[in-house]
Amino acid sequence: MNIHEYQAKQLFKARGVPVPDGGAATTEREARALLKEHGPDVVIKAQVHAGGRGKGRVVKRDRASRTYNDLRREPERHEGQIVGRRRGGVRLASGVEEALKEFRPLMDKDSRLVSVQTGADGVPISAVLIEKQTSIAREYYFSIQVDGANGQPLIVASAEGGQSIEEVNRTNPGAVLRVPVDPVEGFPAFRGRSLANQLGLPSSAIRQAGDMFANLYRVFSEMDASLVEVNPFVLTSEGTVMAIDGKVGLDDNASFRHGGYEAWRDRSQENPTEIEAEEANIGSYIKLDGNIGCVVNGAGLAMATMDTLKLHGGEPANFLDIGTVNRKDRVIEALRIIVNDPDVKTIFINIFGGLARVDIVAEGVVDAVNELNIQQPLVVRLNGSNVEEGRRVLHDSGIAVETADELGDAAALAVEAANSGRRRSRSNN
Amino acid sequence: MSILLNNRTRLMIQGLGNEGQNQIRRSLDYGTTVVAGVHPGFRGGDSFSHGNHSFPVFPTVAQAVEQTQANCCIIYVPAPGAADAILENIAAEIPLIVCITEGVPVHDMIRVRTALAGSKSRLIGPNCPGIIQPASKCRVGIHPPDVFMPGNVGVVSRSGTLVYEAVDQLTRAGIGQSTCVGVGGDPIIGEQQQAILRRFNSDPDTDAVVLIGEIGGLAEQAAAAYIKRSMNKPVVAFIAGATAPPGRRMGHAGAIIEGEAGTAEAKIAALEAAGAVISRSPAEIGSTMRRVLEEAGKYQPPGASA
Repeated sequence: MNIHEYQAKQLFKARGVPVPDGGAATTEREARALLKEHGPDVVIKAQVHAGGRGKGRVVKRDRASRTYNDLRREPERHEGQIVGRRRGGVRLASGVEEALKEFRPLMDKDSRLVSVQTGADGVPISAVLIEKQTSIAREYYFSIQVDGANGQPLIVASAEGGQSIEEVNRTNPGAVLRVPVDPVEGFPAFRGRSLANQLGLPSSAIRQAGDMFANLYRVFSEMDASLVEVNPFVLTSEGTVMAIDGKVGLDDNASFRHGGYEAWRDRSQENPTEIEAEEANIGSYIKLDGNIGCVVNGAGLAMATMDTLKLHGGEPANFLDIGTVNRKDRVIEALRIIVNDPDVKTIFINIFGGLARVDIVAEGVVDAVNELNIQQPLVVRLNGSNVEEGRRVLHDSGIAVETADELGDAAALAVEAANSGRRRSRSNN
Repeated sequence: MSILLNNRTRLMIQGLGNEGQNQIRRSLDYGTTVVAGVHPGFRGGDSFSHGNHSFPVFPTVAQAVEQTQANCCIIYVPAPGAADAILENIAAEIPLIVCITEGVPVHDMIRVRTALAGSKSRLIGPNCPGIIQPASKCRVGIHPPDVFMPGNVGVVSRSGTLVYEAVDQLTRAGIGQSTCVGVGGDPIIGEQQQAILRRFNSDPDTDAVVLIGEIGGLAEQAAAAYIKRSMNKPVVAFIAGATAPPGRRMGHAGAIIEGEAGTAEAKIAALEAAGAVISRSPAEIGSTMRRVLEEAGKYQPPGASA
């Protein structure tokens, strides 16, 4: 789960990581107060979860899709202008009136921030972070993430900050430092000072930088974070260090230790259908561009089902891992989400029961067809635990479904049904 | 000889909630030797019965081991307590720990990996379907038993349901399985694909291996490096997620595309260059393995001695 930059900076500040003076505003009154306190020269930053904010644009909702296509077509035209682009999500301003002129379109209810990472609808802007401008001598990169292969935290740092670290890694891999963290020791300040030294920070800033790195590690471990990234942290012209940006990813699996992370969640940044799926306890749902609605158990099989559809010339409308089905209402909820997607022309149910019981899935399918008045053709492939009972339930119900035992055959049926554009017949008898 | 399990495996189950009970009944029906349960405050009393089978239930792993000489533990404990259960098994020096639980926090797994280093235990999982070995009737997991058949092909996969899918195709193609291992879909797991390949490579019961990977992480590249360096048995590989849109998380916490290396194309290229036979379609894993076995003269029709 991602959180906003202003929230990341609250976590930083609470643990002694230096951040610019400032705060978040959602109303003009709040903005005015912040500007009086921290002005006249300020940075104004739209708060959204999507990346590519600085190179994106803030537009009216009805222009989002066209802007998205423009950005995707000519990304190079928009490179290298992180700050200062008047229509982007990060702006500089001087004085209260000029700053409010930049602030207003960002907080307009009808505005969307569009970047190459947001999708065609763009994302609403949840708040605006207003901060005192910092006078920068040099920009650096710092992050803590989980190295799955070694099962340890990994710190990545570079003296080439303020740009994409992937890009630095490609063009100048020697400039990217990797420091594995011993989880028992953690990342004490002396390790931080050693890293600061390696990054070539001036000796007057080494102690402060060492503390900052150690405190960022505290954010990582105390918050159960999967990522803490500061790009850039800077050496100011006064010779101190400061986190200018901040990105924190929290581990959803650890939310039980943090009150569900409720204080940090922003549902307006999430896809409404994906929230609905989560509330129905469905493992995972992601909207895609095609027309075949998929209901599958297991993330691996769900991906493989999409791959098979594509190999047969079809396009999945979604990724849906229904999780372990031991109650038929979960099948009904999953199908409700699929049926409500206007793009779906065919429904493909592919369940290989292990923990999940196929007969319960079949009962759910029958109930859903009757309850939801499903119009689209329905292709069902069942296998695994209690498969014989499952197939019997489907057959005895008399509902119109096309079935196949093998994945390839079933995918071919689904693609054929989607391309024919036909509706579901009323029964198979 | 076989990998991880054999007919001397003495299984213990930790976490006798509804799901744990359902699954252990199916393992007992399959023919697996279950010697103990661990569940503090188990409502069923001090033993668990199913048909003609019964085993004692203890509040701690240490007691269960002392009294039953269990040498393998399957964990169904819910996510908040799963890492603690793994640590308890490591402390009791259980040689093989299999954790089914989904949703274990990644920071908990960092602690588990630290405890595993230098210990006497090996971990499979978490977030995995477990291990099944048809010839020894050993089911340490949540597999639908009917699709499995004894034979000479090993299966290793990050995804659970794709183990079933691949095995169903193998069995339909007349190919039995030696051992099937789901290593788990999380960012931090116990043994990874590469370690399982190494086990299959020195297993006389295994003549070829199905490797199922997916987008995200670098585990398939490590597997490819091992295949190139040391593998002397054919490997048929499928990578799930070739059509997943970049940057979106597809359920498995581990399956996030991290730059170029995490893509299906990069993994397929690495495996192909290492000499693995790629099944582009997940529906052709069985037929591809059949062809590979026949070419190697290792196809054993069903009914032949396994």
